[in-house]
Amino acid sequence: MEVSPIFVYIIRRLFGLIPVLFGVTLLVFSIMYLSPGDPAKIILGPKATADSIAKLRTDLGLDEPFLKQYFTWIGNVLTGDWGRSIQLKMEVLPLVMDRFGATLILTITSALFAIVTGVAVGIVSAYKKYSFIDRALMIMILVGFCLPVFWLGILLQIIFGLQLNWLPISGMYSPGGSGFEQLAKHLILPSIALSAGVGAVIARMTRSSMLEVFENDYIRTARSKGLSEKRIVFLHALRNAFIPVITVIGMQIGFLLAGAVLVEKVFSWPGIGTLMIDGILARDFPLVQGIILFVATAYVLVNLIVDILYALLDPRISYK
Amino acid sequence: MSKRFWQGFLLMLATLLLAAGCSGDSGSSEESNVPADGVATPGGDTLIVGLEAEPTSFDAHQVSDFNSSRAAMELYDQLVRFKDGSTDLEPSLATKWDITDDGLEYVFTLRDDVQFHDGTPFNADAVKFSIDRQIDPAHPFHDTGQFAYADFTFGMVDNVEVLGDYEVKIVLKEPFAPFLSNMAMHSASIVSPTAVEENGNDFTKNPVGTGPYKFVSWTPGVEAVLEKNEEHFRGAPTISKIIFKPIAEAQTRLAELEAGNIHLIVNVPPDDLVRLQDDPKVQLIEEAGMHVWWTAFNTQKEPFNDVKVRQAVNYAVNKEAIIDGLLQGTGELANSPIPPNVWGHNAEVENYPYDPEKAKELLVEAGYENGFEVDYWVPESGSGMQQPQVMAAAIQADLAKVGIKLNIQTFEWGTYLDKVFIPMEESDMDMHQMSWIGDNGDPDNFLYILFSGEQWPAKGFNDSYYNNEEVNELLNKARISPDKAERTAMYEKVQEIIMEEAPWLVLDYEKQIVLTSPNVKNFVLHPTGVFRFSNVTF
Repeated sequence: MEVSPIFVYIIRRLFGLIPVLFGVTLLVFSIMYLSPGDPAKIILGPKATADSIAKLRTDLGLDEPFLKQYFTWIGNVLTGDWGRSIQLKMEVLPLVMDRFGATLILTITSALFAIVTGVAVGIVSAYKKYSFIDRALMIMILVGFCLPVFWLGILLQIIFGLQLNWLPISGMYSPGGSGFEQLAKHLILPSIALSAGVGAVIARMTRSSMLEVFENDYIRTARSKGLSEKRIVFLHALRNAFIPVITVIGMQIGFLLAGAVLVEKVFSWPGIGTLMIDGILARDFPLVQGIILFVATAYVLVNLIVDILYALLDPRISYK
Repeated sequence: MSKRFWQGFLLMLATLLLAAGCSGDSGSSEESNVPADGVATPGGDTLIVGLEAEPTSFDAHQVSDFNSSRAAMELYDQLVRFKDGSTDLEPSLATKWDITDDGLEYVFTLRDDVQFHDGTPFNADAVKFSIDRQIDPAHPFHDTGQFAYADFTFGMVDNVEVLGDYEVKIVLKEPFAPFLSNMAMHSASIVSPTAVEENGNDFTKNPVGTGPYKFVSWTPGVEAVLEKNEEHFRGAPTISKIIFKPIAEAQTRLAELEAGNIHLIVNVPPDDLVRLQDDPKVQLIEEAGMHVWWTAFNTQKEPFNDVKVRQAVNYAVNKEAIIDGLLQGTGELANSPIPPNVWGHNAEVENYPYDPEKAKELLVEAGYENGFEVDYWVPESGSGMQQPQVMAAAIQADLAKVGIKLNIQTFEWGTYLDKVFIPMEESDMDMHQMSWIGDNGDPDNFLYILFSGEQWPAKGFNDSYYNNEEVNELLNKARISPDKAERTAMYEKVQEIIMEEAPWLVLDYEKQIVLTSPNVKNFVLHPTGVFRFSNVTF
């Protein structure tokens, strides 16, 4: 029976994830274990007595040796028991999944936004190279790339939320509200803040990649055949220019997830970033470990998908 | 697109950037604040509160931070209650109480007309359940939570006895004068036994009490919703619904309030307060808290084992300048380790005035004419710690003028607590910052815990390792005496001795500050820091 090489490749990559994730869990667990600050003391507050702290440490299993704690945790995780958040006193897995949904909505919207604007700006800029438009766009890209996410977020809030009153300032829905329309409105400002940097990188990549492709013989051939500029740009040039762009997009997903932490904090977006910061400050081991494991898994899976997309787009790439 | 379009666009972009750069101090806008279409404007009967962080629990017995207590405590009542505006006590779920002469037995007579929000009748069994759940490891529902305040509140309780449907007796192991005040604390809230039995560990997100508000829902990260309890025994509150929203960023909270989307926020950055004082769109409400901020000296180690050195540091620091300049008046100059809204506060004692010359003289007398160099531990942040680093820098600058060199060492809060509260033999501490927010409004809660020689870390919170026989004796006597006048006299004496001996540099009592929309009326901050909404109209 003939097995498609792509299929074998995917399976191999999936198995390859196991040691990666194992390494991630060990790393995360060690970092949390070694980080100073006693969770029991933080939970009970500075006013707790030594006795109650000692008791809580025992209850939480914090006085067990490192390896025992680690394997207990891994064992539980594999059976679907991700533990209970020390601080929020809730099951970790449903909590993380619930909050990850909000982060996903934000990052996907931002990614789409960054890709669409980035690619569009890149194409225009490349097509009109060295013109005023090109230069103006390059300045915009530079600004978009340099603005700290945090600062841009506050700036957008002040202008479009407070001064102009066009858009909501924080949260995912207005208090007590729900519905797609509200969600969409609440998404706009944080998505712009989050996508600016990534959009700028994509735009630059698209521009230089397009410029390179424009130099190729087949574009000249297409032109000499009398094809319309539209067809040349979108059909011939873009498809070939897109491969390095996809690489960049894949790499930028990590950046988006990291940026989401800041954007969520600024906009009180109920995602995983806010949850993680609170968790770290509270030394909420089960929660932080759960979040990082979840995010790491999502990240490697996204990278896998990007690699597969490559393969589909460019038959020259081999999977051996 | 034309050249002109892009030029215009760039101009707009530049303007926006500039506008943002200036908006820090000139962000006032005179435009109307009609929220945009689709952004929900709550009706006049829903109050939205912006908290600085997620509440971590709605189970009164597990609450250990302000965000949780502010969101959760209107769900519950206790047997006795702090009066509005003070920590004096008044009846609540108990109509009266008798204390035996030996101070060991407290018999409470309970209201017979109260039901929990889930319909469970309130009675003596519920009281026993609520206390035993926290203190008795054998209680079937003891493992339904982590009870941070159980030791503090009930550590002296021997047992709880049900005398009748509406009569309950609490027996103490030894007399403890502040006990009745403890019974007004959040950890002494009475919870519905049926709700704990049904929900177990998840009671924290399905809380049931008897309070003026009922729990509706809690979506972590998004909001918690409470609605009024029409049947509350003190009468139904005015506002139908309260929504608590966690908004971590101080600037975002402020923008939401100014835009009219939320109606009450906590923790306003001091730098914004000046401009907000004259802003007609907001209402500033402030009230002294039960707070004190200090720098402790290691009284068991050179150079601070010499009282003259400690006094010299006290004279050398310009406390008023820190309070007015850095804290923008968000604190009040302290004159003693306990704030004035706690009874027993000695208004007669005085803090050390700013007098660098006097400081130098004292240093010479102590044999440090060339000054000395010590480490100063400072946290990055922390509850009640105000502006730790800038305050440390100001103190460092003042002390440099009298020849004392401070090496500031900054630690993350969790690490910091680990470093500060360790036994004296293991500690290499010279001086450090700390603050305390009182729990029950009793002076014992400040003076015994923070200065008794029996309360050295890790056992307690005497973070200057201070030990004075006379103080110890007074504090021990005061905590068992049933006579308030006698206790007051003893605590006043203790404050005199402590201010003279200066184990601390006492700086200020931080004020509680909230901002509300102008139409929020009758919101009064309570010294305990817990929010009360029953009388608020809007």
